[in-house]
Amino acid sequence: MTQTTNSGEISRIWNWRITLTSAILLILVALAAVSFGPIHISFLEIIKTLCGFNHSASPQDRTVILQLRLPRVILGALVGAALATSGAVYQTVFHNPLADPYLLGAASGAGLGATIALTSTHHNLTALLPLCAFLGGVMAVLTSFFISGKFFAEPNTLLLSGIAVGSFATAIQTYLQQRHSDALRPVYSWILGDLTSASWSVVAWSSIYIAIALVILFSISKQLDGLMLSDEEAFSLGINPQRLRITAVCAATLATATAVSASGLIGFVGIVVPHLVRGVTRRVTNRSLLSIALIGAAFLVLADLGARTLLSPAELPIGVITAFVGAPFFLFVLRNRRKVDFS
Amino acid sequence: MSLTRSSLSAIRGKAVVVAVAIATISLAMQAAPVEAATAPSRIISLSPSATEILFGIGAGKQVIAVDDNSDYPTNAPHSKLSSFTPNVEAIAALHPDLVILQSTATKASAVQAGLKKLKIAVYLETTPNTLDQAYSEFTDLGALTGHVSRAKVQIAVMKSKISSIIARAKKLTGVSIYHELDNTLYSATSSTFIGSVYKSFGVTNIADAAATADSGGYPQLTSEYVVSANPTVILLDDGAYGESPTTVAARAGWSGLSAVTQKHIVVIPLDIADRWGPRLVDLYTFIANSLATVASK
Repeated sequence: MTQTTNSGEISRIWNWRITLTSAILLILVALAAVSFGPIHISFLEIIKTLCGFNHSASPQDRTVILQLRLPRVILGALVGAALATSGAVYQTVFHNPLADPYLLGAASGAGLGATIALTSTHHNLTALLPLCAFLGGVMAVLTSFFISGKFFAEPNTLLLSGIAVGSFATAIQTYLQQRHSDALRPVYSWILGDLTSASWSVVAWSSIYIAIALVILFSISKQLDGLMLSDEEAFSLGINPQRLRITAVCAATLATATAVSASGLIGFVGIVVPHLVRGVTRRVTNRSLLSIALIGAAFLVLADLGARTLLSPAELPIGVITAFVGAPFFLFVLRNRRKVDFS
Repeated sequence: MSLTRSSLSAIRGKAVVVAVAIATISLAMQAAPVEAATAPSRIISLSPSATEILFGIGAGKQVIAVDDNSDYPTNAPHSKLSSFTPNVEAIAALHPDLVILQSTATKASAVQAGLKKLKIAVYLETTPNTLDQAYSEFTDLGALTGHVSRAKVQIAVMKSKISSIIARAKKLTGVSIYHELDNTLYSATSSTFIGSVYKSFGVTNIADAAATADSGGYPQLTSEYVVSANPTVILLDDGAYGESPTTVAARAGWSGLSAVTQKHIVVIPLDIADRWGPRLVDLYTFIANSLATVASK
């Protein structure tokens, strides 16, 4: 387990200061996100209300802060952390810098599940949209696994079957959509992804699954560095690469499917944030996972602040912002990456 | 044509008399002021149709803001509030006591839940598929805003005007129509609101053959089918997107369509086809006039 420090390369040693900085950044961003909105509430009022001291605040202000803004900020942080961490893990597992959390069909499967819920004539199925999306995502990934046969004997086979399963799910989804034009708008807005439906109940159930998945991923983060080597080398370090890959992909899929069912398909976070953290800190070790999670959370909370305020009084789909801000920033980091290995 | 117009206006005159009579009766029946104390005084309408209805039933003075798509009546308090992507906080910032929200808006149920947390009443408006469903929104909004009798009068006026327009129209046997939503040939069946308007004039809707293709009533037709169905009249609801009789005639294989050769292609004015306020009468008049030109030839 000490292979990371024995390698002697500075880029494989993690620095706790970076994690601390990421955490402080997240707290600052979250405070800013709770503070801004179409209704003006003074910063002092907000701090007092958050700490539970403010009994003089108007009921409306309290509701706005505690029922509208806070659950949305927390959900944004959860989803951002889940997508960024899953993305980083997928990139390591597949040795592919372009891997993102939706790689194995999770997005298309969840999209199909959501569309089934939205086009269903049974009204109570519509209420189960998050569950349908979750099951759709998980089933698509499981199908990819099943079709590829020997699991991770050949990662590329798994990757290709993920693409095939994804296209298949998208085809069914498009067909259903065409047959039910009345559901077009909700399906479209779900695919673009947003945090509008954030409430404490959504935060409650999604935090459980995302927390479980992230704890698993953080606990295997040191071993994950072994996957950057060849399988033989990994074995010599006492790692079972195949079992580790399966654990990692299962946990990442749990996090992704939960994030997707809570907020729809928010793109780009899973690719941009891991590269950003690795690029800026010039470190490729998976011990950076915690920082990646924190920065992912901060990134999405900030993007959602933009989604709520840029076009105010209208909402902007958050996916537009993550890509619009993320893509140029990503290119900037790519240009400056020098000799850092991203995979 | 002059004969048609004069008889039409005569019928309209009768209709107005009838309407005024009904109005007087219903006003007499409900002489007491209706819920004046509890009626909302700060209404936000996030639906162009609801805006037109509210002003039509005399609740206009209680409206403090309307959405970015509400352009009629022109004296409505226009705002930048979005009807498609409503933002709870932006709505709440105006301190409304009633919000009219379209059920088709993005995350409508989440927006409704958010407003309820702020103790703001919400009327969730569903898109009607029939005239009666449209009238029930008049009734609902009348009850909510304290204008029950005005709403009843408005409905009575519209009913009499619309039925006289339909009664006046010649029986159009053997006439078929194609209602075009966009140039990829999305159309509307008789189960939709606009389809029900055509149906009331007794014409055949060529989109009905594809009714099972889409539960929402808006199937996408193939070009070959439209050509083989050879509709007598083509009504373009996509004039705002650049479609016109000229562009339709220029489509591959369409030049021989009878609607093209007989010049029975009509562009529906931008906003009257998609709204179900008091101006529905204008829509019926427009469709009646468009179909009348076919019958007169």
